[in-house]
Amino acid sequence: MILQKLQHFQRETLNNLWQFRARNVFSITIICLSFLIVGIFVSLSNNLRYTAQQISKDMVVVFFLEKNMDASDRAVIEQELNNSSLVSRIQFISSEQALQNFLNKFPELEGIVENLETNPFPSSLEVTLKEKDFSYEETQPFLDKIKQISGIEDVQFNKDWVEKMQSLSRLARAVGFFLGGILILASFFIVSNVIKLNVFARKDEIEILRLVGGTNTFIRIPFLAEGIILGALGGILSLLLLFIVIKLFPVYLGSSLGVLNELISFRYLSFSQSTAIISSGAIIGFFGSMSSLAKFLKT
Amino acid sequence: MIELYHIWKQYQKPDWALKDITLTVNQGDFCFVTGPSGSGKTTLMKIIFRQIFPTHGQIIVDGRNILRVSDHKIYRLRRTMGIVFQDFRLLFHKRVFDNVAVVLQVVGFPRKEVRRRVFNSLRMVNLNHKMWEYPSHLSYGEQQRVAIARAVVNNPKIILADEPTGNLDTELALEIMSLFTEINKKGATVIICTHDRELIRHFGQKIFFLYKGKLLREETV
Repeated sequence: MILQKLQHFQRETLNNLWQFRARNVFSITIICLSFLIVGIFVSLSNNLRYTAQQISKDMVVVFFLEKNMDASDRAVIEQELNNSSLVSRIQFISSEQALQNFLNKFPELEGIVENLETNPFPSSLEVTLKEKDFSYEETQPFLDKIKQISGIEDVQFNKDWVEKMQSLSRLARAVGFFLGGILILASFFIVSNVIKLNVFARKDEIEILRLVGGTNTFIRIPFLAEGIILGALGGILSLLLLFIVIKLFPVYLGSSLGVLNELISFRYLSFSQSTAIISSGAIIGFFGSMSSLAKFLKT
Repeated sequence: MIELYHIWKQYQKPDWALKDITLTVNQGDFCFVTGPSGSGKTTLMKIIFRQIFPTHGQIIVDGRNILRVSDHKIYRLRRTMGIVFQDFRLLFHKRVFDNVAVVLQVVGFPRKEVRRRVFNSLRMVNLNHKMWEYPSHLSYGEQQRVAIARAVVNNPKIILADEPTGNLDTELALEIMSLFTEINKKGATVIICTHDRELIRHFGQKIFFLYKGKLLREETV
């Protein structure tokens, strides 16, 4: 008997999806567009975060060392730097290497450098900070502490740039939470109402099924399955559309915006984000059907 | 089998659709509920299969007070009844076959058995050749016969029919009534609402006369 019912539910769900195809296509379109807006937003926010990460990745602090510092003193400083959890990589640049780097970057100034009697470039330690743990509030005390060690002449660290990047990152996060929250909430209401309208349009059918002896579960299951399928299909379709948008947007934009292209371009959604969109569709479809059915399954 | 005690029903104040109806229908009875339009026949039917609740009173069906049955268990009562609605209540997006089969599908009958019973039931109402049509392609009378086939397909203990021959010609109406008589002979209790005096004269065994919501009299032939 259970098998008969399962077969019935499967047939019923597929038949109804086909039977009410015009209404279902409309529902899927609305669900798809709602999720597409969320998807575009997530994609833009992904890109902003990625760009911010790329910039902070090369966050390098240069410690200029005193002239003629011996290797043991340098080892002490290196040891101190290695003990910090903020440091990702340390590279020693000798004064000769620094001169060479300068000449490589500015070959036209070779004549001037040749006229100098001594090498003006001090040796230095280039310290790359860990991008994940990076925060200005933590970094500044660490730098101050290292500065105290004897043998360090100066520290070069672009504080303004770091602060700007941090502000941008904070802004992106705040806007993300605010707009993302509103968009997700709005799409939740839209999708659940579309599903509700779908169920509402078939309230006579629900009543008839009840009057001929259908249990609430018997009536509910095909509707819930339809809600889940419509929601999930809407989610999948929105991801496909998003894929097309991501593919076509750079073609449309060209390279007219220069460096801004990088900031306003889209980034593909991660696997977990895509799964979240599809499963949100299915879950909203399920609860949308469930709550609207409850009204008609009382008497 | 069906006992109604002091049933009152009010849809809107101050009018009463039913006023203090007390009646008993025994197992195997073949009854008519008659009266002019607006006398409360349909309301009485709806109360018996608990589509609506009475404002006051009690109803016992098969020894159970159906007003105390919870909403999620009411299907058990309805599965023992075959109902022909005045407005047919067909599923217009489903074929004739599926409209009749739904009564068996809710119980979980095997497909073969469903097919056999639906075919027999549609043959009884002379519609087996239109099994795969949609109700919207059928005439009013044919739709009514589909509703009758659906009501009898499950061999119910009780059949409630609200104006089941209202749109049928005399010949077909008599045929349908004969069908109800046959089902009644097999042991089912049949209650039919109608204002067709001719039918009542032909088939009436027990007749309840309603007028403006009141039970005027009860006759047993």
